[in-house]
Amino acid sequence: MSDLNNDEIRALAKAVGLTLQEPELSQVTHSLNAMLAEMAAINPSGFSQEEYVAVVQPADLEDPE
Amino acid sequence: MNPADIPFLSASELAAAIRAGAVSPVQAVDAYLDRIDEVGDQLNAYITVCADEARADAKQMEAEAAAGNFRGPLHGVPVGIKDQIHTAGILTTDASKIRADFVPDADATVVAKLKGAGAVIIGKTNMSEFAMGDPISSWFGPARNPWDTDRNPGTSSTGSGAATAGFLCATSLGEDTGGSIRGPAANSGLVGIRPTWGRVSRAGVDGASWSTDTIGPISRTVSDCALTLQVIAGHDPNDRYSRPEPVPDYLDGLDAGVRGVRIGMVQELMGGHGLRLDDRSRGAVSVAAEVFRELGAEVVPVSLPIAPFTGPIVRTITSTERVSLNPEWLRERFEDYHPNTRVAFAVGNLIPGQVYYKALKLRALARRQVLQAFREVDLLIQPTSSGPAGLLSDEQAVIDNQEMAVRSLRDGSFRGLYSLSGCPALSIPCGFTGDGEGALPLALQIGGPHLGEAAIFRAAYAYEQATSWHERRPPAL
Repeated sequence: MSDLNNDEIRALAKAVGLTLQEPELSQVTHSLNAMLAEMAAINPSGFSQEEYVAVVQPADLEDPE
Repeated sequence: MNPADIPFLSASELAAAIRAGAVSPVQAVDAYLDRIDEVGDQLNAYITVCADEARADAKQMEAEAAAGNFRGPLHGVPVGIKDQIHTAGILTTDASKIRADFVPDADATVVAKLKGAGAVIIGKTNMSEFAMGDPISSWFGPARNPWDTDRNPGTSSTGSGAATAGFLCATSLGEDTGGSIRGPAANSGLVGIRPTWGRVSRAGVDGASWSTDTIGPISRTVSDCALTLQVIAGHDPNDRYSRPEPVPDYLDGLDAGVRGVRIGMVQELMGGHGLRLDDRSRGAVSVAAEVFRELGAEVVPVSLPIAPFTGPIVRTITSTERVSLNPEWLRERFEDYHPNTRVAFAVGNLIPGQVYYKALKLRALARRQVLQAFREVDLLIQPTSSGPAGLLSDEQAVIDNQEMAVRSLRDGSFRGLYSLSGCPALSIPCGFTGDGEGALPLALQIGGPHLGEAAIFRAAYAYEQATSWHERRPPAL
């Protein structure tokens, strides 16, 4: 995925009700691009079989009272 | 005892002195308040010092002690509380302009438990705004590291680290989402434990990220850390995600040693793998492994392939969850946040749902790898962080390129395994960058399986007693 530019970030932010201006706008652009690139690069062996499960298991929620 | 010496006792020693009648609760509180007056401005560790309330509580504790009634193991001991934890009738700001006037009606469960054990709340400690992990974003100015006041005391429980290391409280509470107890412990030369997720109630604590937030102690010694956790741990009907299992006596058998204990050293966090790791940190942790061997433990290499990637995974999850908590503030009060918090919250708002979901799946993988490791070894060790405390001035820098943002994400990988798996992990000093003034603490992290806090404390205590790092004091304090 190619990096997002400032105009695209500004438009995305507007879609969620945020108005971004400099100097924060460029920082958001660098930070989000970094996060998306890092996450895209994480594809460990066995990941395709992995599915999300809650960190809390049902037994954890039994009330001892 | 000279009153000026009281703050330099450990919490355990102070509690024992009060119980023995050698120190009164009023003397203890006055000694800490005097010290806060003396050096508090240098550290900016507190947002609110509860002088009047603490003195009144100390008088009550003194009267009870005189009648032979001791509430519990922290009777008369002054404790600092991170300012995202509610305290009835006392300002609780989250270090934000937005919450600058918020006074809760009720205590958080952990505060009620501390009071029930006799602790005196001496103040509300500084922190990163809304616990976002930035050391300069507090509306009240940054807390400063007692080892070098130009440096970061560790985020996000900045003030809890600074106050405890600066002897401005006997022990303290922090909150750890992606490392906010372990980071201050590492930077400030302290012992801090992120407990098992759910081991400590979060009722009455302003959240950062519901699926990773934990409350725990930041203390000067392993015994103090164990004692503080003992008081606050346990099931709470007001937190439906708190764990129901009984709390063991963490102090019982603390000195049992590590002979025969199998300890895994996480290879991916000892260098390479795209992470920056200070040679001094790597060296100190390697030497710590030798100490464990000399104490009779078996130290073996362990591979956790997901470990170097956990920083970005944690940040993706916590950033997304954090901005879901108060969306109206983001739209209506965006300008009232610190600029760095604005950037962090904006990023959290823009993370695509598919990326968040991928992070959740990766969390499942990380959890599986960590739990698998604990079928092979009893404990895991690794550095707590990439290096010693950084300069606060570096944190002022604008993120002006993507590489800088990547470094920040990857640095979180040293603490990510436990935030993702919900397993407990403790940070303990394992060396310094030098011998003279300006030397900074280095830190070892010890992780354990779910509800394995007692085993972690035993190993940490054995290491602490075999070394002398905990005996050093910050210069000029």
